[in-house]
Amino acid sequence: MASPWCWSCLSPLRTPRAILPSSTTTTRITTAGFHSTAVQYAMPAKKNKNSITQLKYRQGQTLRRKKKKATENRARPPAIGERKAMRKRIVLSNPNALEVEGMQELSPETMIDNRLRGSVLGLPVTMLDQLRAVQAFKPRQGWNIFRRPGTVLRRDALELGQLFEKISGDDPAEKGKVVRKIITGPKGSGKTVHLLQAAAMGFLKNWVVITVPDAYELVSGTTSYSPIEGSNPPQYVQPNATSALLKRTVEANSKVLESLKVSQKHAGLENLKPTMTLKDLAQLGLGDAALSWPVFQALWAELTATSPAPGMENGFQSRPPTLVTVDGLSHWMTKTAYRAEDYSFVHPHDLVFVQHFLSLLKSDKPTLKNGGMLLYATSTSNNPSSYSLEVGLDQMIARQDGVSPTSPDYPAPEAYSNADPRVLELFKPTAASGKEGVLELQTLGGLTREETRGYLEYFAQSGLLRENINEKWVSERWSLSGGGIIGELEKLGRHVSAPAKLAQPTPDVE
Amino acid sequence: MVFILGVNFPERNLLKKSLQSFFGIGNDTSSRLLARFNIHPTCRVGELANKQVLDLTAVLSEMKIENDLRREVLNDIKRLKETGTYRGRRHALGLPVRGQRTRTQIKTPVKLNRMERRL
Repeated sequence: MASPWCWSCLSPLRTPRAILPSSTTTTRITTAGFHSTAVQYAMPAKKNKNSITQLKYRQGQTLRRKKKKATENRARPPAIGERKAMRKRIVLSNPNALEVEGMQELSPETMIDNRLRGSVLGLPVTMLDQLRAVQAFKPRQGWNIFRRPGTVLRRDALELGQLFEKISGDDPAEKGKVVRKIITGPKGSGKTVHLLQAAAMGFLKNWVVITVPDAYELVSGTTSYSPIEGSNPPQYVQPNATSALLKRTVEANSKVLESLKVSQKHAGLENLKPTMTLKDLAQLGLGDAALSWPVFQALWAELTATSPAPGMENGFQSRPPTLVTVDGLSHWMTKTAYRAEDYSFVHPHDLVFVQHFLSLLKSDKPTLKNGGMLLYATSTSNNPSSYSLEVGLDQMIARQDGVSPTSPDYPAPEAYSNADPRVLELFKPTAASGKEGVLELQTLGGLTREETRGYLEYFAQSGLLRENINEKWVSERWSLSGGGIIGELEKLGRHVSAPAKLAQPTPDVE
Repeated sequence: MVFILGVNFPERNLLKKSLQSFFGIGNDTSSRLLARFNIHPTCRVGELANKQVLDLTAVLSEMKIENDLRREVLNDIKRLKETGTYRGRRHALGLPVRGQRTRTQIKTPVKLNRMERRL
């Protein structure tokens, strides 16, 4: 194109009007330096309103960008509680999973059968509602990948079954014993499921099962609390949490509680009649949260009663043993989110609910007079650090190893560590009195190789694993799972991998 | 709906947040109020017993909050201006009062510090 400028004098050349395009089609004629796009098609530049000259007095010359408008979300938000319900939903069955042929159920016979060690026993279908009521299942435990919920009969479970058998058996030396255990173990080692197995065995043996599925809820400041008048130092009741505990207990144990009658007189509950069942008694606390703590105390007194009060002998039945499980113990060993009136943090042991369950760990006084079991598990997924608890558990380990509390090897809190004396007091050795067993520490580890094999075969039979399960492969998985940690095994088992050749799982072939 | 100090709060609201909606009550004061009446930190307005509502209202009405507090703060600024102090002058000029630089970042004093100061 010819230049519109004269090269000699740099003045614009006149162009014949006919050559110029008409002004109706193009508004501006410019040349574009580096663009190949026709400039005339570009949008006319807008006047810049935010030019510096228009700035007001004492306005900064900073770069101002227009804020992006938040995109309006037209979708209706989920109803109140819906998201939480989805999060906490527990699915116990998967119709896509294969039914495992010849799968045995947990029963009073199978739970002590050593030959079944390593096999997965189904939880009885009739019991699932009870287990749900005591919140024994937790979300994300992998129940939803199998046709029906089942648990491995590992060594610890067999030992547990034998304890149940002994305590509710006929042997006078063992009957009515109280077993106290703190259950620890690495992450995924099956502590919560161990409690679930205990609850299931308790239901099978017609025990009363009382659970605290999450110790955190009592100290996280999410449930109401009120001081007990006249208590010094102030102690607090948690009416709604107690009411929830009663609800769980009533729903899960209604059959046992219905068969037992009120046999004692209780302060604060004058209108009780001897014809009332324990279920009626417990239900008093459901409607009125203010009554729930006295009602729970009354229910506890009834369950631990060995003989009726005078004048109430009518139809007294001996009480069954009681199972108490608590999950997430370390939350009860740190400070709570509750505040006292002077704005100091409430110590968890000042909450009477917590104090009640912790006092059961002491074996110097009779607690569960009709026998029973106390299983308190620590958690690793939601675990506040509590130095005092660590020291307490170390002391228990040392005692179990035969270290005397007076010996210099006995673990003690470090100087200036500010360990909580109330927590340490809890783990001090107490002598066993009568049938009250001393507090033991049980550490859950991994499964053995044989148990691992049984567990993985269950995956294969459910159609999840398409592998030829042999000794070598099982051994490999056992090592991969950190020595048979069951949570890791579950991850390995549920990970569907495409094998080179589709082989039917044949458990007998090596 | 629950009346606390003449204000109507929906029952679903958190009590702590509702208390903080009063001018002069922040995180600390509201926490202390809750602790004083043994109310748990995640309590909703609807969960309060009648007595607790009355107690809270009684305490709040004795505190210097809302218009009383606003008036006090404005009076303090006015006193500074009237006595001709440097701080008072800075308040009146719409400039930062506490020795901040004025080259940039003084939007807040420009917005707030003026002769007829509002809160």
